[in-house]
Amino acid sequence: MMKTAVLLPSSAPFAADQIDALNGVIGAASAEQRAWLSGFLAGLQAANDSRAAAPPAAPPAKRVPLTILFGTESGNAEALANQARKAASKLGFAPKVQDMADFTPAQAAGVENLLIVAATWGEGDPPQRAQDFYESLMANGAPRFEKTRYAVLALGDRAYAQFCEIGRRIDERLAALGGARIADRIECDVDYETPAQGWIDQTLQRLGAEAGAAGDTSVIHVDFVRSGSEAEADQPTRARPFAAEIIEHVRLSGSRSTSDTYHVGVSLEGSGITYEPGDALGVVPRNDPALVDAILDTAGQGGDAALRETLTQRLDITTLTAPQAETFARLTGTEVPPADWLAGRQVIDLLERAPGKLSTEQLTALLRPLTPRYYSIASSRKAVGEEAHLLVGAVRYRSHDRDRSGVASVDITERSRAGGHLHVFLRPNPHFRLPAEPDRKVIMVGPGTGLAPFRGFLQEREATGAQGANWLLFGHRNYTHDFLYQLEIQDWVKSGLLSRLDVAFSRDQPEKRYVQHALWDARRDLYAWLKDGASLYVCGDANAMARDVHAALLRVLADQGNQDEDAAKAELDAIRRDGRYLRDVY
Amino acid sequence: MDMERPLSANERIKEKSRFLRGTIADGLTRVDTGALADDDTQLTKFHGFYMQDDRDLRAERGRQRMEKAFSYMVRMRVPAGIVSPQQWLGIEKLALERGNRTIRLTTRETVQFHGVLKSNLTPLMRGLAAMSLDTIAACGDVNRNVIATTDPSRGGLHEAVATLARDISGHLLPRTRAWHEIWLGQERIAGGVIEEEPILGRTYLPRKFKIGIAIPPRNDVDVFAQDLGFIAVVERGRIVGYNVAAGGGMGMTHGEPETYPRNADVIGYCDADDVIAVAEAVVTVQRDFGDRSNRKHARLKYTIDTLGLDRFVTLVNDRLTHRLGPPRPFTFESTGDRPGWAEDEDGRSHVTLFIENGRIHDLPHRKMMTGLHRIAELDVGRFIMTPNQNIIIADIPPASRPMVEALLAEHGLDDAQSGLRRNAMACVALPTCGLALAESERYLPALITRLEQELDRFGLAQEDITLRMTGCPNGCARPYISEIGIVGRGPGLYNLYLGGAHEGTRLNKLYRRDVDDDGIVAALSPLFAAFAEARKRNERFGDFVIRTGHVAATVTGLDFHENLASDLRS
Repeated sequence: MMKTAVLLPSSAPFAADQIDALNGVIGAASAEQRAWLSGFLAGLQAANDSRAAAPPAAPPAKRVPLTILFGTESGNAEALANQARKAASKLGFAPKVQDMADFTPAQAAGVENLLIVAATWGEGDPPQRAQDFYESLMANGAPRFEKTRYAVLALGDRAYAQFCEIGRRIDERLAALGGARIADRIECDVDYETPAQGWIDQTLQRLGAEAGAAGDTSVIHVDFVRSGSEAEADQPTRARPFAAEIIEHVRLSGSRSTSDTYHVGVSLEGSGITYEPGDALGVVPRNDPALVDAILDTAGQGGDAALRETLTQRLDITTLTAPQAETFARLTGTEVPPADWLAGRQVIDLLERAPGKLSTEQLTALLRPLTPRYYSIASSRKAVGEEAHLLVGAVRYRSHDRDRSGVASVDITERSRAGGHLHVFLRPNPHFRLPAEPDRKVIMVGPGTGLAPFRGFLQEREATGAQGANWLLFGHRNYTHDFLYQLEIQDWVKSGLLSRLDVAFSRDQPEKRYVQHALWDARRDLYAWLKDGASLYVCGDANAMARDVHAALLRVLADQGNQDEDAAKAELDAIRRDGRYLRDVY
Repeated sequence: MDMERPLSANERIKEKSRFLRGTIADGLTRVDTGALADDDTQLTKFHGFYMQDDRDLRAERGRQRMEKAFSYMVRMRVPAGIVSPQQWLGIEKLALERGNRTIRLTTRETVQFHGVLKSNLTPLMRGLAAMSLDTIAACGDVNRNVIATTDPSRGGLHEAVATLARDISGHLLPRTRAWHEIWLGQERIAGGVIEEEPILGRTYLPRKFKIGIAIPPRNDVDVFAQDLGFIAVVERGRIVGYNVAAGGGMGMTHGEPETYPRNADVIGYCDADDVIAVAEAVVTVQRDFGDRSNRKHARLKYTIDTLGLDRFVTLVNDRLTHRLGPPRPFTFESTGDRPGWAEDEDGRSHVTLFIENGRIHDLPHRKMMTGLHRIAELDVGRFIMTPNQNIIIADIPPASRPMVEALLAEHGLDDAQSGLRRNAMACVALPTCGLALAESERYLPALITRLEQELDRFGLAQEDITLRMTGCPNGCARPYISEIGIVGRGPGLYNLYLGGAHEGTRLNKLYRRDVDDDGIVAALSPLFAAFAEARKRNERFGDFVIRTGHVAATVTGLDFHENLASDLRS
């Protein structure tokens, strides 16, 4: 596709060399890059001068209806959708937020103004709960969107090859189905906040103008606001986390365990954070000082304290993406490494291809911002008060002749101590909550650190006296060394809070045994519980475990229901739509 | 029996156990704990296993919010200790898959699996049953694994005692079907047949009961340490009968002089055909007269000393069709094994392999597990576990011997050992044995190395001296009947006993109390020097220390705690 030459006029308020530089960037930019840049600049402006700019807009004579549709896995897309709703309200829209989980393409096609916030998960997959919506949108019988104005905000992570794949495909599909794209799609990486907000504000402005032109409204004044509403201003955020004191820091894994899992209790006193079981705590980690040193050395940078601080606290010095590799090659005049070279490698490996070649600015510009990590909270406030408990497994592995450490997990487990602090904020997970009905049965599949939210669930159900039966399926490697919270679980078995417990330890016998095997072995009871209305929760590893558990559930439904695969799938889908098959996987 | 005293707790557990079932089957289904119910852990002994926990980990477990690191020690029943190469491979597989990847040879000619998780008990039992092996009565208040002299070079004689061991074991085995029901899932017999234990009784024996059979001059089974011993009398190349010894036993408790080790008394002679009847008679006397109130006073040795030997023999004779005759003369020469090759008249070869402390696993320089695996794969001969924690590859045809020799060399299984090391034994003790007061198996090799240096200085490197160490006074490695006995008192501290007879006919005597590693070496080194200097021709170390007045000879169990040096009397 030909690029339109877009050039700044010489009258632009910049020096001549700045105009040249900007033309060099903007002229070569794709539509997508320009959209990102405009969003970024708008957001930056908004964040900087707050509401000093324009006076509040006069509400349009007639409020323009707007549907903000999100598909979320981790909760970020939902948070952005809610942010967009608030901004839209201020701009005089009548917005409502819809989860793709509860919406069909047919309903969407009836919407006049549609803003979509779509996350991509793993290797280019839709979020689990958005799967139905996505599949029917892509299917042959999808409805036409002739009367719909729309724009798509795509969320993704450049560390994955299929970056923003789902947002891109939805955007293209809606266009193909006759929808009117009123703004270029923006594709946001893990540092999405600023560009996303700028894009939302601009897109709403344009949408308001177009919708207004079709109706009887005139100019909509932009009212930039900081992210989050005033009511939430005190809540710690990713940008302003709460320094929570570590009050318990205990290794739960036995000394001979092959894993390294910690119970970490933090005090939330004074934080304003009120979490529910199922919610996650975001932790803003600090990088490994030894790796910071190695990065500085390899980049040829001295021990500048400010730079060291930036690398330790602000920038992601591990994750390596293809664009970074390209930029690095350009800056150093080296060859771009082949795509498969990136697998299992990190920034340090890239820097080693041409040591000592980057300026400070080039190095910091190359690196992505350091992102928080999320841990399912392993406690209930009703049991522990103003504390939150985390269950953190240290990630360590070796690849390409180098020992690698998980940024946050090792920061929390190895470099933190009781008395120290974790920088935290709340990330609600409203789609992973205990059933509203205290009598409903609950089945919890939580191997490894996937046990975390269920400890919170069980504490909550114990504290509230909920009468519904609870069934926990736990698994790990070795019974003797990896039975996390065993004594607490024993107490719950003894008290009857846990009416059933199954375990699967993979390395205790010649055949590998995992939770899906325990599910299959218990299939008769499992089926009976589900028929009895039980809610089934799965937490833990998304790739192997959640997939295998899903397959096991289908087999159980087929076997116990005497039905074929399709019927089993339909039954599980029905359970899921009923809100009784919930997953928190990562 | 004194009816005034209450029965011990174990008697009540046995009584209400429904013939050893208890709630074991229920306990196996509980996955929140690796343990079984307390009462059941007494009953599981009758099924051949003990619940234990890794004591190295006790301190950390509470912090980790985990219960003790429970696992089980499972002991096989294999009378006379003979298995086929195929069974050996199966045992190895079970140890690798269901245990802690080691095989532990014991002083009762069998193997123990250690570190077995609760979830692996059933697969382990089924694996054994599939090879026609079991664990029934390997522990518990029953007749334990019956041992017999392991001397395959004596062809027919060895075969005869091995057969007798199997027959005695089978005859005295519990009749309950509990083991088959719980572990193999066999149905209870329809109609609810009321079970009976015609020999052992519904509460079984008051305490453990051990039987050993010896063919002189070998006393490898330590026949005088057994509750009941049979000493073969050979005439014209066949066994015509047995001298009967009763009342041996090792266990005692520190600080309780009313408990003591005891050497068995020879109480008579019986014809070969009457052995089973004699065994049953002795067992039933113990069943009826043993102390069921105080388990520390319940072994046959105390029953005999309480009744008086004559009364005991009368009670036994009263239960026999053919009364015991007067004992025949016999002579023992040694209690140890004879590492190395032996050949018999038929040209078959037998090789006794030294296994330090009976622990089979692969070490960098001694790949025992792999070596034995490769030999078993040849599928020739038999594997015989000795009462000294060693193993014999027996009945090797001439054609296979070079191959076996090569495999032994390749895996470091034919390394020469000093006289002290090849005659040394240790019990398991820490970290798994709940009774251990001090290290044993993990410590003994290093102590031997230190003592070897001393012996070497005095030219005694090849002297056969029996040394046995246990981590507690219960005596699993038979420490009180060795020339040097070392018994744990507390962490790093041991009592040192001297003066046992090399051939196992005399107990030893306390020589030093509460000595540590240095103290043991310091106590023994001058005795080794004196022994090298002043021993008589062919005099044994255990005899030398008595003749030269370092300790008094122990004559009977009752004087074990007597005649101590003045500084040791307490």
